[in-house]
Amino acid sequence: MASLNTFGAVFTFAIELERRLSAYYGSIGETHLSRAADKRRKKLERVRRENVVEITLEPIAGLDAADYALELNDGSAAGQAAAAGIAARFYREAAPKINVRAAQRALERCGKEHAS
Amino acid sequence: MSRTVKNYIDGEWVDSGASDLFPVHDPATCELLAHCPDSTAEDVDAAVMSARAAFEEWRSTPVLVRAQYMHHFKVMVEENFEKVSQIVVREHGKTMDEARGEVRRAIESIDFAMSVPVLMRSDGLEDISSGIDETTVRQPAGVFAAITPFNFPFMVPLWFLPTAITCGNTFILKPSPQTPLATECLFEMLDELDLPEGVVNLVNGGVPSASALMEHPDVTGVSFVGSSAVAQIIYETCTRNGKRVQAQGGAKNYIAVMPDADIEASVKNILGAAYGCAGQRCLAAAVAVGVGDAYDQLKDELAKQVAELKVGYGLEETTQMGTVISDAAKQRIESMIGQSEGEGADVVVDGRGLSVDGYENGSWVGPTLIADVQPHTVMATEEVFGPVLSLMKADDFDEAVDIINQSRYGNAASIFTSNGKYAREFKYSVNAGNIGVNIGVAAPSASFPFGGQKDSFFGDLHGQGMDSIEFYTERKIVIERWV
Repeated sequence: MASLNTFGAVFTFAIELERRLSAYYGSIGETHLSRAADKRRKKLERVRRENVVEITLEPIAGLDAADYALELNDGSAAGQAAAAGIAARFYREAAPKINVRAAQRALERCGKEHAS
Repeated sequence: MSRTVKNYIDGEWVDSGASDLFPVHDPATCELLAHCPDSTAEDVDAAVMSARAAFEEWRSTPVLVRAQYMHHFKVMVEENFEKVSQIVVREHGKTMDEARGEVRRAIESIDFAMSVPVLMRSDGLEDISSGIDETTVRQPAGVFAAITPFNFPFMVPLWFLPTAITCGNTFILKPSPQTPLATECLFEMLDELDLPEGVVNLVNGGVPSASALMEHPDVTGVSFVGSSAVAQIIYETCTRNGKRVQAQGGAKNYIAVMPDADIEASVKNILGAAYGCAGQRCLAAAVAVGVGDAYDQLKDELAKQVAELKVGYGLEETTQMGTVISDAAKQRIESMIGQSEGEGADVVVDGRGLSVDGYENGSWVGPTLIADVQPHTVMATEEVFGPVLSLMKADDFDEAVDIINQSRYGNAASIFTSNGKYAREFKYSVNAGNIGVNIGVAAPSASFPFGGQKDSFFGDLHGQGMDSIEFYTERKIVIERWV
């Protein structure tokens, strides 16, 4: 798995993560969680579009997609908690790497939603 | 056989009468994407006739209605954001983030044009003499054209088109024949807007169509972005033909790094400034001047971080630097690196001969760092327009400013420092049109004029900001007495 070394790589990973989570929750009948993940995905797509600042694009170091691999075969409460925990950790660790405050805030908020 | 891009004239997609075609390649995969016609003077004349015919009705369309078109246009660009970004990557070779950043800045220019109803307002004064009032009004000036470069194929046209037409002018765009696909997409959206026929026109091509625009008697003004040599020709030709003109040229942008700067953080930003868009932008950082002790620290930190940059295909999100535009550009850049080496400079990180797995035939030049560059050598004086950052040493701040001011260019210059006195003195003394303080790419946002001095700009009124309102309007003074 590749390193998440650019603004776009971080946000595209987050968008894909939420897409997978939405499908996962949908498949186990957790409709409201599926909808919430889909809402976050749409928000992240907007944030990626609106907050890419050409003059402050800088390399990002220290984030690797392999560290946030989701295991989505387990639909039990424990499996759901594990998936949400990985997502929350990803957002918590990714947000400080982003140098645009509005984009950083969006990641922080996603992390809080997964942690709650 | 790939398709040939069409022109857009009088509200219709039409074939050019050209017999010559330019191939348009993806510079990473070498895939032939399309052909671009080298449109003729007759194609240009048809576009100008259409624009001229549309002018009177369009100028009398209420400005609020004209601004509403821009609102709808912005929504369309937002909806097509990823599609446009991918087209930019494919025809240019930059990264997805850079392409998205370009489209974002293009949207800022549309936002600015929505302010035209406010910005076109003028002023007046009652009783300049007994019972006499005087006012100024701004009126659209006619048919405008823009000749735009390959390096920002979606953004640069929108520095001009939205403001020009919202001010009530009609418009002709001639984009670079190397990158006609982003502007094709742009005009597909404009076509969806249902603007009156002739308000916007697209003529693809090279020198013949550019010359025809500059010489056409019904073109009021021309905007240009490109090299300094061509900017000077554009300026001289347009002024000789009685046109207003703004011609933005090339650059050699210097960055001074003071010993008090946070070197690690500064280098992170300088990387983006030097190697973003593979150095193919007129605001690219070309020379970093390390002042005193900063020089060695800067060299070491840059060498470390430059070597870690990931070069690859722009559509892959983890790519941090893409290709240059063509093999010809690659050869030119590599030749300049060789020349610099021959002049005694130290090529610390050498991007020549780079190959990227899976894209072996792409136009790759890796990020290059050259140290110990001396004044009057190729890397200190000539624009590379590629991913090459040179390092020069200055003993103190004053010497750094002297080095910067010796350049014949004056597009941008930046300083990295934590000392307000140096920052203030830098802003005051350096002869460049865009100044950065702890920012490597001093790119003005759409509501500010895009600066540029010396051989980096030919003209009086710059693109963007209030200068663009001045450029695209004619002021009329009205003196009234009612008895």
